[in-house]
Amino acid sequence: MIEYILMITAVLGALMALIQRDLLKSAILTGIPGASIAFLYQYLMAPDVALTQAIVGSAIIPVFFALAVYKTRRTEE
Amino acid sequence: MIIDVQLASFFTAAALIALGLFAALFLDNLIKKVIGLAFIGDGVNLFLVTLGFKPGGIVYIFLPGMSADTFAQSASYPLPYAMVLTSIVIGASTLAVMLGIIIMLYKKHGTISSKKILDD
Amino acid sequence: MNPLIPIMVILPITCALLLNLIHTKERSVKILAIIVGIALPVIPLLANYGIHYFGGYSPLIDNPQMAQGLPDMITQSALNLFHPAITYSFTSAQKIFVFILGLIAFLAIFTSLSEIKKASGVYAFLMFMGTAAVTAILLSDDIFNLYVFFEIAALSQVGIILASRTEKSYETALKYLFLGSIAAPMLLLGIGFLLGLTGNVNITDIIYSINTGLVDPQNPVLLLACGLIFFGWLYGSGLPPFHSIKSAVYSKALPHGAALLQAFSVFTFVGLGIIILRIFSFLPFTQVAIIVVSLLAMVLGITMALMQSDFKRMIGYLAVGELGYIGIGLGLGTALGITAGLFQAVNEAIITAFIFIGFGTILYKTGITDTNKLGGLMVENPKVALLVMLSGFAMAGVPPFNAFQSKLQLVQASITAGLPELGIIMVLLSIVTFMTFMKAFYTIYLRPKPSELEIKNKEIPWATIISLVVLLLICLILGLFPHIVTGQLEQLAQGLI
Repeated sequence: MIEYILMITAVLGALMALIQRDLLKSAILTGIPGASIAFLYQYLMAPDVALTQAIVGSAIIPVFFALAVYKTRRTEE
Repeated sequence: MIIDVQLASFFTAAALIALGLFAALFLDNLIKKVIGLAFIGDGVNLFLVTLGFKPGGIVYIFLPGMSADTFAQSASYPLPYAMVLTSIVIGASTLAVMLGIIIMLYKKHGTISSKKILDD
Repeated sequence: MNPLIPIMVILPITCALLLNLIHTKERSVKILAIIVGIALPVIPLLANYGIHYFGGYSPLIDNPQMAQGLPDMITQSALNLFHPAITYSFTSAQKIFVFILGLIAFLAIFTSLSEIKKASGVYAFLMFMGTAAVTAILLSDDIFNLYVFFEIAALSQVGIILASRTEKSYETALKYLFLGSIAAPMLLLGIGFLLGLTGNVNITDIIYSINTGLVDPQNPVLLLACGLIFFGWLYGSGLPPFHSIKSAVYSKALPHGAALLQAFSVFTFVGLGIIILRIFSFLPFTQVAIIVVSLLAMVLGITMALMQSDFKRMIGYLAVGELGYIGIGLGLGTALGITAGLFQAVNEAIITAFIFIGFGTILYKTGITDTNKLGGLMVENPKVALLVMLSGFAMAGVPPFNAFQSKLQLVQASITAGLPELGIIMVLLSIVTFMTFMKAFYTIYLRPKPSELEIKNKEIPWATIISLVVLLLICLILGLFPHIVTGQLEQLAQGLI
């Protein structure tokens, strides 16, 4: 059951990240699909991939985006 | 459930790839485009992991005391998982390079709209 | 076991990492880069033909010790033949390709070290990294290993453009990287489909599975995989629809960088193209698709080149157009055609590097790339002008240069394959190439010098002249004795039919 919830949050989180006007919000929201996919990997029998994805997808990539937004501009024109 | 986990996971991967492609091709903001590209990578990785997954199987780690036959029959296929590890890291590094270039472009043009920057 | 095979990839990577560490020390950067640069073309000449298994895990059939005591389920099935390790295969064709790539890399690095005032370790780092990646693409028999190096090659190409610091280089780099981040996951998806069908990433094993019926060859998923890998191939080599971004990439790099970048494209084209032919040649329309894309590349590339006023952009489009000749050779599907196509690939890599470095002297002397603002450079340095003219003759296929031989073979192959129309188009486009080149040559060298043109008072470095002469000599040698290359390439071509 929990797998299906994770799949739905992954897709919804991706959609949410793309429809935000505020880029900082969308940068932080990219962590949601990243983290859900990391949990999903755990349920798909891939613990080592899940660890990597948890670090890269839910921490490093959102931070990269947030830094880029911080260095550029916060709103879409 | 109506569909099994593996099939649902394939659909999730397809949805992520489609969302990412849409964002990369049609959104104007460069950072949004990069977010879309990150989702394409995620989708492809999820697809590969799902390929190796065996419903009702066990993790591909050979624990002491396990019989070789059970392991061979029920472990999930580890090759795609090893590939995904590499692919995640490659994706993250490409992303960092792209964001770096975007920051440089913002310093030069003062905007992150792809129409204003990339069209000649 | 042949230790020199992995060294071909490991040495440039190690050197690249070292150069990055010592990038501020100008003198040591130069010495290290030149020593490793000389080693690059020498290693493939010394190495013996063979197959290298990383980690030493050879297939069970070659390794009876390991096979002892394993159940029949493994030793009696196809698993006995499969390759468990990442495999690099080094044959006579690879020897030629890696040698030419190494030579161009050496000349490009050699020229860049003398033309750039302050030698930068980072620039040489990117060049070595790209060379290593493309060498691995040529050698690798493992399709996932190929994907990894495909990505590294794309990133180092972007790096070379960024490090060139030309006008608008960042915009082009970002566009190229965007397209790359769409194309590379598509390639990975295609590899995933192949993996899902055959359970393998080793190309020899995939072919074995398809040919012996372990996998249904008519499976529609194979079609999808073929399409996705084909898309990655289009991106990697700059065929349409990527021809305009690829030519922009060439024009944003410095001339010596562009000379290397086009060699990357040519050899990525050859490496991935051979793999597509090996795996998917049983699908009837693969060869048709290759021919159609190549024709488009030829027509679009060469006609777009006619319209450019920027000479770097013009050569960029010509380079893309010339790729089409290789593709037609591969797409014909006969032994003669494939040999001619591969021979054309070798020639094109050399000649385009020759042209890029040759025209680079103009940029070095004037700092201008717009042909409308140039003129009268013949008086400045007639020797270099002569070299540049010969490079253009070589590209258009004037005898006795090498492209004449390969284009002649291509026309012959297309006639024997029953497609004489292709031969006519190729001859016509060669004439257009010649025209385009002569137009640029006339405006830059022969017409009277515009009054506002300032020529910098610095000598063209001797390293550049040496590179040009070496490339000219190779063009002449291959043109006079084509069998030294075609003889080596024939084996591969026979294996592909």
